[in-house]
Formats: sequence, structure tokens, C-alpha cells
Amino acid sequence: MKGSNMKTRKLSIGVLGVIAVLALGSCSSDSETITVDGAWARTSPMNTELGAVYMNITAAEDDALVSATVDSSVAMSASVHETTMNADGTMAMQEVEKVALPAGTAVSFEPGGYHIMLMGLNQPLSLGDTVTVTLTFESGESVSVDAEVRDQAP
Amino acid sequence: MVKSPTVKLLAPDACATLSHKCATIFVSAAISMLAASCSSEPRALQGIVRDSPLHVEEVSLPDVSNTGDGETPFTMRAATGELLFVYFGYTSCPDLCPTTLATWKAALRQVGDDAARVDTVFVTVDAARDTAEILNGYVGSFVDRYHVLRTTDPAELQSALDAFLAAATIETAADGKVEVSHTTVAYMVDDRGDVIVEWPFGTNADAMSGDLKILLEDVRQRI
Repeated sequence: MKGSNMKTRKLSIGVLGVIAVLALGSCSSDSETITVDGAWARTSPMNTELGAVYMNITAAEDDALVSATVDSSVAMSASVHETTMNADGTMAMQEVEKVALPAGTAVSFEPGGYHIMLMGLNQPLSLGDTVTVTLTFESGESVSVDAEVRDQAP
Repeated sequence: MVKSPTVKLLAPDACATLSHKCATIFVSAAISMLAASCSSEPRALQGIVRDSPLHVEEVSLPDVSNTGDGETPFTMRAATGELLFVYFGYTSCPDLCPTTLATWKAALRQVGDDAARVDTVFVTVDAARDTAEILNGYVGSFVDRYHVLRTTDPAELQSALDAFLAAATIETAADGKVEVSHTTVAYMVDDRGDVIVEWPFGTNADAMSGDLKILLEDVRQRI
């Protein structure tokens, strides 16, 4: 049910897109609807091969983040994680299948919430480095994000 | 009429846009602060202050710090005129633990020279993976003066957690993934072995350093 709605909606977006492109003639053929800002990664402490990347993601149309990848020269793998609080007040993180991105709403990936976790870092994330992660969305769009390595959130 | 002290609700940057989780923490923090403000010490501490402080001096755990002798256990009481920052965590923690330790590092920097009177204690809840070597490098990445505590006896760890009203569980899934749940509160312990303030996850460096200055002055005056 949901899937078919989605298809209908995608189709209508597609049709609208085609109309828009036709109307504007020379408009760029890019159909980018995702905006990412404020991307940063925390410096990784000594003796750990894990890192976390944070950012704000805004989708112009309803979408969802479905996966994250990182170049193998940086880390073995990347995944989308969420830290949540349990009933007893303890906190834990787990991998999430997707993160919903309602149209026009900035979704924050920040400490204590969603983050892109990097596993198996080849070298520590040091102050001033830039780490690039590639995000893939349900719509099929894919975005490369350069995150500055910092001690604290910008 | 006694003017009631202003209770300022924390609005840490890290939590500004966080969902109900933080709201819950800070509402409870606010309630605790209100409760505290009705007692004898109407001060502008931003962390949680209990009416009756937790006493943790009985807690003693193996100290695996490079600086220690490897034999003398560490007791949860600050040296006279000093304070301890205590955190239960694990090093394979990419989000919460480094966030709190980085915030703590920033708070110490804000306090300046007086921060020399503060010791940092990191208790691993994941002794299976956190060796002494890993712990020393990890915590040493944030602060110069620290103790890393590690016990391989689950009962000993549990009794330490209990004293702080904290909790931690580790589960290994069938695919080998280890999932750790832990209390993410940071505790300040004084030279009587009392927990004098608790900072929930998301407390920012300004709030921590503000509290720290007040508390350091308190312990100085008691000398």
C-alpha cells in the first residue's frame, strides 16, 4: 500500500520535473533535492577505530536516508546509527535501516541522536582533516559529504 | 520574603534540536533543581543536585592507569580540596563517550589553572574489550590527569554502578555485534566521597565549567 502510494507520488514528481525542465528549457538536468550542511566528524581518541560524522540533512521532497558508505582508504565501513535512551535511563546505539526526511525539514544528525558511524578507521581522525562520506537516499539520489574533523560541534 | 533562586533550565547546544529524550532529561533535571533550590543551598548549579547526596566513598575499583602501581585500588573520594569527575563508559563508543569527554575537556579549559584540582575517573563497563593499554590511550586523549578503572569481576562493577545509581549492560548478538547500554551521566565527587552534582548527557561545557567553579570554591573553603 505504502509502496504503491510512493510510486504514484514519485511518478507525479517525475512528471512535474519533466514539465519544469521543459518549461525552463536550459535548466540543469540534475534532480538534486537533498541539502546537507554543518557536516563534521569528531576527532577520534587514541586506541579506537571508530568515528562519528554529524550533519543536518534537508530533503526538498519526502525522502529517507538509507545508507552511508566511506572510501576504503578512510575506514572499513560506514553505517547509519541512532543513539536512544532506554526505559531505565541508560543509552545505547543501534544501526537503523533508514532515517525519514520529511520534505523541507532539516533532520539533525548530532551527538546523542543519529550519526554516521565509521568502523575500522585506517588512521585516527585528526583535527583539520576532512572525511568524505557518501549518503544514499530512498529516492535513488546519492550525495557526497565532506565533513571537517573537529573536537566539538561547529 | 526570601527570594527564590532563579532556576535556569539547561539548553545545551548538543540537545537544542534533540527530541523528547533530551526533553525528558532536562525536565527531570529541572525538577531536581527545583527540589534542590528549596533546600538549604540555593545556588545556581546547572546540573542535578540531590537533596541527599549519594555517598560513594565505599566504591573501590582496580586502577589500571599508567600512573598507578597496578596494585592499589582507586577509591571514589577526591583528595582534600579537590574534585573527581566520574564517568562509566567504554572505548568502542563513537558517539556518547567522546562527546561527553570532549565537552568535559572544554569545560576544564574554561576553568583554567584551577582545573589542576580536578581528577578524571573513567570506569570501563566493557572490560572484555577495554584493556588497560586501550583505556590509558583513550582517556589520555582528552585529559592529562586521570585514572582508568577496570574490573573483570561483574559483581564488583555492579556494586560500583549501584552506588552511583547507574546501570550498564552488554549483550553480544548472534552475529557477534556487541551492544552496550550505559548510564551517560557524569558525576562530580568531592573530598568527602559525596556526589555533589550530576550532569546528564547533553550538558554543555559552559554549564559544566560554571558548576565546576562554584564547586571548586566550595571545597577550597572547607580546607
